Amino acid sequence: MKRSLLQWLIIAVGAVVMLGVPFALGNKPYWLHVAIVAYFYAILASSWALLAGYAGQFSFGHMAFMAVAAYTSGILGRDLGMTPVQSIIIGTLTSAVVGFVIGVLCLRLRSTYLALFTLAFSEILRLALNSELDLTGGPNGLTLELLVDTTSRVPYYYIMLGLLIVSLAFMYWLANSSFGLFFHAIREDEEAAAAMGVNIVRYKIMAFVVTSLIAGLAGAVEAHYIGFITPNILIIAQMSIVVAMAIIGGVESLLGAAIGAIFVQFMLELLREIPMPASIMPTLAQMEGTLEAFGLSVGEHGILTNAWRLVVFGFVLILTLRFYQNGLLYPIIDRLSRRPVLAETVAKRIQATEVES
Amino acid sequence: MIELDVRRVSMSFGGLQALNGVSFSILGNELIGLIGPNGAGKTTLTNVLDGVYKPTGGEVWLNGQRIDGLPPYEIARCGFGRTFQVTRAFRRMTVLKNMLVPAMALHPMARQRDFHDKAMEVLEFLTMEHLVNDYARSLSGGQQKLLELGRLLMLDPDIIILDEPFAGVHPRLMGKIYEYIRVVHEQGKAFIIISHDMDSIFTLSKRLLVLNFGELIADGDPNEVKQDPAVIEAYLGEEEEEEGPVVIPPGRLVAAGETEEESDA
Repeated sequence: MKRSLLQWLIIAVGAVVMLGVPFALGNKPYWLHVAIVAYFYAILASSWALLAGYAGQFSFGHMAFMAVAAYTSGILGRDLGMTPVQSIIIGTLTSAVVGFVIGVLCLRLRSTYLALFTLAFSEILRLALNSELDLTGGPNGLTLELLVDTTSRVPYYYIMLGLLIVSLAFMYWLANSSFGLFFHAIREDEEAAAAMGVNIVRYKIMAFVVTSLIAGLAGAVEAHYIGFITPNILIIAQMSIVVAMAIIGGVESLLGAAIGAIFVQFMLELLREIPMPASIMPTLAQMEGTLEAFGLSVGEHGILTNAWRLVVFGFVLILTLRFYQNGLLYPIIDRLSRRPVLAETVAKRIQATEVES
Repeated sequence: MIELDVRRVSMSFGGLQALNGVSFSILGNELIGLIGPNGAGKTTLTNVLDGVYKPTGGEVWLNGQRIDGLPPYEIARCGFGRTFQVTRAFRRMTVLKNMLVPAMALHPMARQRDFHDKAMEVLEFLTMEHLVNDYARSLSGGQQKLLELGRLLMLDPDIIILDEPFAGVHPRLMGKIYEYIRVVHEQGKAFIIISHDMDSIFTLSKRLLVLNFGELIADGDPNEVKQDPAVIEAYLGEEEEEEGPVVIPPGRLVAAGETEEESDA
């Protein structure tokens, strides 16, 4: 695959920015934390894009796979004294097994039924985690040993970045191999794919196993970074955010979904507080009552938007669904990654029409 | 040598007997037409042969291997190819990717680019090589039909079942599909063509199967089958009966549950 100079430039700038973030944000641990969480969501969103956008399996059980790995890892560490690395590996494999089982159970389910089934599975798991106090700590949550024994966030930043790059590379390889071809064929028409010799049972299950493995790995590592996990990661709003991130980025593009997740995560954090010049802060403080009537409040350096940031998020989502079904960012990615094949085809078509006329 | 043996195949859906003891065999690259009135069981027979349904009775043997009850993808790999009554191209995939699906399904360990040449060859045969990088959904209905036929060749089956290949097709495209059938047949493939287009069936097929109410009522040379009284009564006779135009009694056009008195009020 030939790339233009511009494409190499973008890749190089992207790499430098991503590797250099800790140096720029070294004294702002909060923003480093935001970046780590953004990468975590990027892994979830892109693996969900592989399952839903590539293979057409609109599952809402993605957070459940992630939670299975995180809880398994936490419980193994607490009860059997495993090191985080050991328990993360076993937790990840457990989520792959759960993905396999869900894949088998979903074989005959399509679209809405699949969505409802996986949603129900996720809810059942949440209720079980909430009520099994002895095993999971219930609503009080489960404390996990930290993956790296340090107060610095820099190691975690590189671990999560590495995880994102490795899982994206793996999924890209998969999407461009015959797996991706069969995933697409299954998404388009299962019966026709079967009539063309595609073992649809194997590849549908494979899609669930691979994506739950990746979601599980990300979830387990994230849980060992935060050091604490509650059943609330399974609420429907969490899953919806992952879906929305993938949709905003482009559900049929792995990179699009990942960038969409990073974009949304930073947007939500930046919108928390709209910075205001220090000179008008006293005036704002006097107006606090009026602002609160609109759901806003006054912070240290500006206006706190509270729930309004979610309104903005919802608005972006609506705009995307109405005008850019392929994702807000996908047209940009597509333009930058378009291959010269298209130009060749256009030339051929012009030739063909000239011969005809 | 292609050898298909269908032995007393039956298929029932609950109380409905869609196929009732259908037996026939194919030896070599025969060109067979399959006709029958709507609901006679033509598509059900296709679905049983290619594994979408498991027959409730009887056996199907292809080249010495029993294939009834195998999943569709295995039957496809055994040498059974089909098209669908409604075109089913993979719409959001390019023409090339459409063509690669069956090739890669047969050889999952191969590289996709190993099949580019073969795909281009087939597309050139169908005179649609200039569309290779277009999405299937951007093709016209006729081109999608051709794409489906091309995709079949990548699977390289022994027996091809075409379900209504001429339905809603422009005469020029019809000529192309004729040519396709002739050329591919000469390459040694057997065809079963399901169609209501009698001209095409009698032009193309060397043998005619007639299904009625799930039973095979005739099997033989098209010209002989044409004279068969049972076939005329069940299917071909319609034109000769000359019943005159259908008269709808007045008042019947009023929507159900609504009498004329009510509509007047």
